[in-house]
Amino acid sequence: MIKNIPTLALHPYKIAILYFKMINNISKKLLTLVALVFVLTIQSFAQDGDAAAGETLFKNNCAQCHAADASVVVGPGLAGIEDRRDFAWIKKWVNNPAAVISSGDKYAVELYEKYNKTQMTAFPAYGEAEIKNILAYVKAANAAPVVAEGAPAAAPVQEASGGKFFNVVLVSLLVIMALVLVALLAVLKLLSTIAQGGSPESSVSGLESFKATLKGLASNKTIVTAVIWMFVLLGTKATLDGLYSIGVHQGYAPTQPINFSHKLHAGDMEINCAYCHTGVYKGKQSGIPSSSICMNCHNTIKRESPEIQKIYTAIEKNQPIEWVRVHNLPDLAYFNHSQHTNVAGLDCANCHGDIKNMEVVEQRHTLTMGWCIDCHRKTDVNAKGNAYYDALLTAHNSSSKEAMKVEDIGGLECAKCHY
Amino acid sequence: MKNSKIYFKLVLSGFLGLALFSCDKKNDTGLEFAPNMYNSIGYESQTQIEKNGINPNGMNMRYPVDGTISRRKYKTSFVQDDSTVVNDLMIYGLGKDDLAIAENLKNPIPWSEAAEDEGKVLYERNCMHCHGVKGAGDGKVAAKYKGVPNYAADAYKDMTMGHVFHVITFGRNRMWPHGAQVLPEERWKIAHYLQRLQIGG
Repeated sequence: MIKNIPTLALHPYKIAILYFKMINNISKKLLTLVALVFVLTIQSFAQDGDAAAGETLFKNNCAQCHAADASVVVGPGLAGIEDRRDFAWIKKWVNNPAAVISSGDKYAVELYEKYNKTQMTAFPAYGEAEIKNILAYVKAANAAPVVAEGAPAAAPVQEASGGKFFNVVLVSLLVIMALVLVALLAVLKLLSTIAQGGSPESSVSGLESFKATLKGLASNKTIVTAVIWMFVLLGTKATLDGLYSIGVHQGYAPTQPINFSHKLHAGDMEINCAYCHTGVYKGKQSGIPSSSICMNCHNTIKRESPEIQKIYTAIEKNQPIEWVRVHNLPDLAYFNHSQHTNVAGLDCANCHGDIKNMEVVEQRHTLTMGWCIDCHRKTDVNAKGNAYYDALLTAHNSSSKEAMKVEDIGGLECAKCHY
Repeated sequence: MKNSKIYFKLVLSGFLGLALFSCDKKNDTGLEFAPNMYNSIGYESQTQIEKNGINPNGMNMRYPVDGTISRRKYKTSFVQDDSTVVNDLMIYGLGKDDLAIAENLKNPIPWSEAAEDEGKVLYERNCMHCHGVKGAGDGKVAAKYKGVPNYAADAYKDMTMGHVFHVITFGRNRMWPHGAQVLPEERWKIAHYLQRLQIGG
């Protein structure tokens, strides 16, 4: 049998013959029917175009703007396209949409107007065969509802059952907590009734004995001194901590005028920091993006969101969006982004923390001088492929076997940052 | 019973106080000593401590005077393969609709592995989130934005570097202009890298 398999591809009728040979206990009539259907499908595909080849063409060239079903992506969905337009028109349109529109074709002009005057890319190289293949794929994709609808239908069911399960767990937890609370309250009530009704005198004496113990402790000199010292030490530590935190903004996470999420943009959407903070590899400041950069995507995405509406309002009124600066070095210290990002090749997260997981940006590091110096002591100079460091590297290597750190080339000099 | 109620109230108010304190802390930079030493007397870009009384919207930053052009864009010059020096083309006098002319522009930066590598880095910073790692239009943002083409697709694989430069500068169809974000020199380097993506990476 295995040897026969290659012949399957040769002729559709051979499949039917193989079916007969393979299975004997199914009635001949049914088998003939199956074979007939099989052959008919293969033949119908051969007439209309190759759906498999059409799928490749469609996914590479059309899928960016068209769905194979009726849903609108950028342009209209292609389901039932052959019922709407004849083949000659479709071919003319695919080869040169601009020419069809300018010829004054009513349907084409309406289409152009309906989809925001976005003109379809021309595919002049496509002949009858390619277009027929694509159409065959579109037809096949719509004719297979079991696969097409089965997959998305399964997902929500799973989701719903997952949600239900979570709800059940939550409710049962709440019930358990309530039971525990009731039990605790009952115990408390029992104890208080015993204390009040059972023997009220003993409870008073208990309180008095407690007072007596306290008095005894207060008259003990050792204990009093120990307590005083404890308070002095704790107070000193609190004062020192407080003094050290003066001018340190660690943990500062101000509310911004727009609830912009770095987690969504830099994390989930994987947009590079430099796309919005355009100056980060070029200059001293990384820069706060102008609203035009927001609009590169938000001219389309989430237009109706109230947070995005704030950008539109700012643009319409020609007003700045007043972002609150989070990371701020005092004017007495000079810091340049490009030196650290472009030359040293440091990652943004090195100083700014895990921005990709922050809903609201927070200053994670202290940004104090000690913090800067510490890094300058530990970090090797990124001298690879940078001719500026060649002479320094030679000089350093002649006197030391250690790797050249930032401190070795003046990274601790006062005047490097304070001038 | 009375005592326990008072304790409960005390603990509750303590928690409330803590909660309030921690809320404040998020919006507060904390105690500062001599902030006049911290704040620049001269105007600093991207810093606005108090409202500017003269400029519109109280901003320190202003638009450049009408008609002024950044000189930096003219200063770059490149030596071509045939040792001629090109000084222009980094920015040129073409408008948004002059795509047909732009298609014939020659990339003033000669191809080199280094130039293409730089182009790759710039592509990853500025383009990849929409156009995808291999330029197939399958970036994370493209799934939301829709209509991002595959560079290797038949309609795009033969596009010239001049075309790429022009589209980055002025945008095309659904893509918005990126001329303000990507310097002319960087656009030409990206165009070099795109040549690779047009043949599927």
